[in-house]
Amino acid sequence: MSKAIKRKDFVQGDEAIAEGAIAAGCRYFAGYPITPASEISECLARRLPEVGGVAMQMEDEIASIHSIGGASVAGMKALTVSSGPGISLKLEGLGWGIKNELPYVVVDVQRAGPSNGVATRVAQGDFYTVKYGSAGGNNSIIALAPKSVQEAFDLTIECFNLAETFRTPVFLLADETVGHTRELLEIPEDSEIELVERKKPTVPPDEFLMYPFDTPEAINYPYPNIGDGYGICVSPYTHTSRGYATEAKKDHDRMVQRIVKKVTSHLDMLTRCEEELMDDAEYAIIAYGCEARPALEAAKMAREAGIKAGFMRPIFVWPFPDEPVFKIASKVKKILVPELNIDGQFSREVARAAKGQAEVYHLGSGGVETHLPEEIFEEFKRIIK
Amino acid sequence: MKTQEDMAVAMHPLAAKYLRPERMPHKACPGCGIGHVVHCTLNACEDLNLNADNTVWVQGVGCSSRISYTLWKGDNIDAHHGRIFAVATGMKMSRPDLNFICFTGDGDCASIGGNHFLHACRRNLDVTALMFNNSIYGMTGGQVAPTSPVGAKTQTTPYGNLEDPMDACKVAMAAGASYVARWNSTDFKQLTNSIKKGIQTKGFSFIEILVPCPTQYGRYVLGVSDPIEVVKWYKENSVTLKKAEKMSPEELEGKFLLGEFAHREDRTGIVERYWDAVKKIQEGRK
Repeated sequence: MSKAIKRKDFVQGDEAIAEGAIAAGCRYFAGYPITPASEISECLARRLPEVGGVAMQMEDEIASIHSIGGASVAGMKALTVSSGPGISLKLEGLGWGIKNELPYVVVDVQRAGPSNGVATRVAQGDFYTVKYGSAGGNNSIIALAPKSVQEAFDLTIECFNLAETFRTPVFLLADETVGHTRELLEIPEDSEIELVERKKPTVPPDEFLMYPFDTPEAINYPYPNIGDGYGICVSPYTHTSRGYATEAKKDHDRMVQRIVKKVTSHLDMLTRCEEELMDDAEYAIIAYGCEARPALEAAKMAREAGIKAGFMRPIFVWPFPDEPVFKIASKVKKILVPELNIDGQFSREVARAAKGQAEVYHLGSGGVETHLPEEIFEEFKRIIK
Repeated sequence: MKTQEDMAVAMHPLAAKYLRPERMPHKACPGCGIGHVVHCTLNACEDLNLNADNTVWVQGVGCSSRISYTLWKGDNIDAHHGRIFAVATGMKMSRPDLNFICFTGDGDCASIGGNHFLHACRRNLDVTALMFNNSIYGMTGGQVAPTSPVGAKTQTTPYGNLEDPMDACKVAMAAGASYVARWNSTDFKQLTNSIKKGIQTKGFSFIEILVPCPTQYGRYVLGVSDPIEVVKWYKENSVTLKKAEKMSPEELEGKFLLGEFAHREDRTGIVERYWDAVKKIQEGRK
């Protein structure tokens, strides 16, 4: 049983995510038990009824994500959570959310895979899954990655705000280490938390276009819900600007351009990185999520050893921060990318964004444990030789 | 080319009142029974004062859904294949004040959405589900369905179907739906009454409609594509519960049972129970 959380408390990342959702105005949750995300469901099962919201344990992962899609259509700020094997299943429903521009949040508390892998232990194997997993491509995924319990709370709120602003599913790409770490969480006063609420149309129904294909970059675009009198049409099919199914290439092009451009036209709002020791750096370590903490420690160890090492961490991991990575690559000689998969998922994106300006090295692990700062430092010394 | 105004004039008065003229004519094949069900649904809406303001049409994927999608002047929410009741759960829990009529098919409901169907019945979600059963996958070109009879030769069972069909009404009853019934699409009066009862009954209402599909089921399984012949086949192969009482198991073999199988008005469902519980929890905190 989860307990009540105080304004200033020592809690798990998973509990912070649940509290962040409540603070963000989330009033519909649906999930299916899965380690290491179940604590979020447990917290919300207790908390949501208290604030007049709905918490459902659905029959499976697929039902969970489709039911939050339904709740979103009905005007709720909605959330589902899972981990690797469950995220695989949810990807089907995610396509419906992306295509119909549904604002909702999905939390992925990453664990070691493939398949069930090690359910209770950390990894970072879903970096590409959240971006490209949903079949059909042409997507608009935004993903934020917390490194701490406090950030798990803060970024969850931001995910809900972004979902409403951009009318799209947003991922919180967490991991087992962040989800299960206990740290100090400070919950701000409600008045200090900025929330984005869904805009309703101001024009009559016959003048309103549900999907603004003529202004594909439009954000903060109104989203009427069921029961608002706008006769909204939501489906799995390629749609016209009114939501009618169409098979014309012209319509399909306009729809996918809308889905992608609303995100790619606003990269300034969707790029945020933390940098340390970068001013005079000759080498850099770039990492995200739980790996960022040992990575920063490793950079500090390098500095103590007289090596001009810097550290960078993207907070928004999708859209990928091409510009900031390119800037770093332009001024350093080599970049080390520690991450918890041996595919080199994150490092491949870093190398792509570096455009040959610096050599990019991948330090991979299949997960189960995060890298130790010493391990990253050893690899760092090896690559800069 | 007819204008939208012409089309509205040509439409049945009920259709003109409730359906979008710009979406006419609809996509049903000649002789398809889905139009019958849409008509009976509109009869029920008219009698119960359900309209675009208070009622949402929900669809899955398949003939049942593609044909009914965006017809309704109100909101049309079409889910992925099989996920209709999952989406309906999110909507009904969030907006218990609205009515939801779900248009699903035998493939959508009994096959790919089977788990969601079971749990919508178990939760007794307060929506009205109309399962259009044409005993075949029609829209994809006539493949075997979980409702196809043994021996049926379809595009994916060229040597005959080896699997027994599912009786979705029995499943719905066992899983806990408040209201369960089955009719031929041509039983206009009974079907209209059933849809009305389904809408009025608290909890999950499941109405299976035997829908003649001359294009796929008629042509490939029955060997007749004349719509009248297909309707006759259903008439000859279905019996009412009352008539069935006097028939032997041998006589009933392969026959569709028609009628009301369950009408449990006293059974509450998740929507009512959840919001009652929330009220108590919130009062307890004061």
